[in-house]
Amino acid sequence: MPTLSRPLRYAALAGWFALLAVTPFIADNYTVRVAITVAMYSALALSWNFIGGFAGYPSFSTAAFFGLGCYVGALSQRHGVPLVLAWLLATLFVTAFAAALGTIILRLKGHYFAIGSIAIVEVVRLVISSWGSLTGGGDGLNVPLLSGGPDRVASTVLYVMLGIMLLAFIATLLVDRSRLGFGLRCINQNEDAADMVGIDTTRYKILGYALSALFCGTVGAVYASWVGYIDPTDSFSILLTVKVPVMVLLGGAGTVFGPIVGAGLFVLLEEFFWANFLEWNRAILGGIIVFLIFFLPSGILKLDYRRLFRRKSPADRVEAA
Amino acid sequence: MQQQKSRRLLRSAALALGLFAGLAGAAQAADAIRIGSPLALTGALASEGAKQKLAYDLWLKRINAVGGIQVGDRKLPVELVTYDYQTDGKRAGQLAEKLITDDKVDFLTAPFGSGHTKITAAVAERYGVPIVAVASSEPVHDQGFRFLFGTLAPSSGLIDGMLDVFRKAKPDVKKIAILGRDDVFPKIMASLMAKGAEKAGLSVVYNELYPVGTMDHATAITSMKSAAPDWIYVTGYTADLVLVAKQMSDLGLKAPIVTMITGPAYKEFVDTLGPLAENITSASWWHYSAAYEGDDVFGTTKAFYDEVLAASGQEPDYVHASSAAALITLQKAIEKAGTLDREAVRKALTELDIKTFYGPIKFRADGLNDNRDLPIIQIQGGKPVVLAPAAIASAEMKLN
Repeated sequence: MPTLSRPLRYAALAGWFALLAVTPFIADNYTVRVAITVAMYSALALSWNFIGGFAGYPSFSTAAFFGLGCYVGALSQRHGVPLVLAWLLATLFVTAFAAALGTIILRLKGHYFAIGSIAIVEVVRLVISSWGSLTGGGDGLNVPLLSGGPDRVASTVLYVMLGIMLLAFIATLLVDRSRLGFGLRCINQNEDAADMVGIDTTRYKILGYALSALFCGTVGAVYASWVGYIDPTDSFSILLTVKVPVMVLLGGAGTVFGPIVGAGLFVLLEEFFWANFLEWNRAILGGIIVFLIFFLPSGILKLDYRRLFRRKSPADRVEAA
Repeated sequence: MQQQKSRRLLRSAALALGLFAGLAGAAQAADAIRIGSPLALTGALASEGAKQKLAYDLWLKRINAVGGIQVGDRKLPVELVTYDYQTDGKRAGQLAEKLITDDKVDFLTAPFGSGHTKITAAVAERYGVPIVAVASSEPVHDQGFRFLFGTLAPSSGLIDGMLDVFRKAKPDVKKIAILGRDDVFPKIMASLMAKGAEKAGLSVVYNELYPVGTMDHATAITSMKSAAPDWIYVTGYTADLVLVAKQMSDLGLKAPIVTMITGPAYKEFVDTLGPLAENITSASWWHYSAAYEGDDVFGTTKAFYDEVLAASGQEPDYVHASSAAALITLQKAIEKAGTLDREAVRKALTELDIKTFYGPIKFRADGLNDNRDLPIIQIQGGKPVVLAPAAIASAEMKLN
């Protein structure tokens, strides 16, 4: 991608957004589903960017937040909470969960944090899976289906997911320009130094971590309403937890547009290879990821952002990966 | 085929360029019946997925050899559209939607996994597309879906059969230990057995679930050992059961009756365990030694057995049979309805009452196959033998 000026970038984003939004009118429901997937992963990637991109903490707990969102949303709906309220409830619960968890787990750094955060996915999955009386355990949970025909359901879900993606993007912009964003970047570069110059690193990290969970919770709850059935294996999938950081790295970690570029590109690539190379799609995709990480370690937007942000040292890149 | 492929390529390119794929969708002429099937060709359920595919291919070959399915006064060939959903729930849902809207299939079959069946069934329900499941238990059919049907009989039939047979073979059986995998089907088989055993007057001395992905059962086995049960009953998939059986032997846990659901129904189970598999009992929805006749493309159980054996070198198990039965069910319902109209075919499915190589098929109100007389088997001399029902029994039960 050639370097675009800032207004042009916003224009490109608006165009992309509009394109996703008009799919129900110009294409079939399968394409709409792809658009939903793009919006969903964009929101997840933007979320991850707060902690993984800005603060440089390699978090792998996305699936834990997503899965919890699924379950809180589904359970509240089953207990008579109206749809939208159930989604909000899931958002609040997951954010609070992340904030509480953050106070403990953010004491770990680097690889230790990465392993700790991936363990959370497993632990939450096991708790949900074992707590059969509440969550149905391995049987999973039926979620009340969204009313309306397939076209209506598809477009409703699409606009909700796009809404979440937009909110996540606005949140990214706000954080990017605020003290919080500055603080998180300082933590990324050198946490001890940041602490020394008066940044409340613990508070900032917890805020970043909670922000990274917030939209995942909403996305999870909406996803549950969309598919109508959730179970522990699919809700807390390790693949999801790895995919999202890869998307952000692909686009450019710690940038404002990177997660959206990465998520869009990744989903479309995945779709393309999967449709055409049934047997080898995973291997090809894996190869592309390795290639991109090696040759574009700071993502596709690297060239654009080199001048805008201070250049990262190689050591930081390794840590971010 | 080539044309289809290039269209798909073109389509994906369009997609990658900017989601304009819908423009490339071409209208599908009704010169063939299209049945869509998401299959687990990779991932955790790959071996079941492969069996499903094999059975589908065999059926497809036979049905197209006779010119296809009779629809009213026309005979239409059948096209199967299959994709690998990689044992991934999100993919399964996506594929169901792709098959319906993009490939424009007339009907669907569900993938092997129970949870994945529910996800695809939810999509099919939204579009009003009849979907036949090849391996679904009671919890899969509890959402009130109108378009979901399953060729397997309710799991409770398996439990009652085993209790009858085993208590006849060993009247003094008192204590049962139950270890179940915390996953849709294995879980219901464990909880149904706990209920059934209590009702039959047995005492359940151990009753636990192990989470999906457990790699060590030593704790459970030690606890069971201290409870000294007469009957050990374990549910799970083949890999789990092989591990449990090995660890039971390592830790010296024995009981007069050992039942594993549904390990012994699979040849892999017997091959991997060798002598350790001896005398393990199980119940299954179908076993090739239970001979049936029907007016489907296979005609007899023997013909199906021979064909699977010739095509894969493996003896067929219930996965093969149930998969072929799913397509036979669709075929019969289409013939009965005399049209490809989905609502009419759904109605025909609800009224269906047929005899096939797989046994009788007749759906209950919730869509499960209302079949009783399910075979109970035991591994004897490295081979599965049938203990019940009496009409097809080939051996007496042996106790450890």
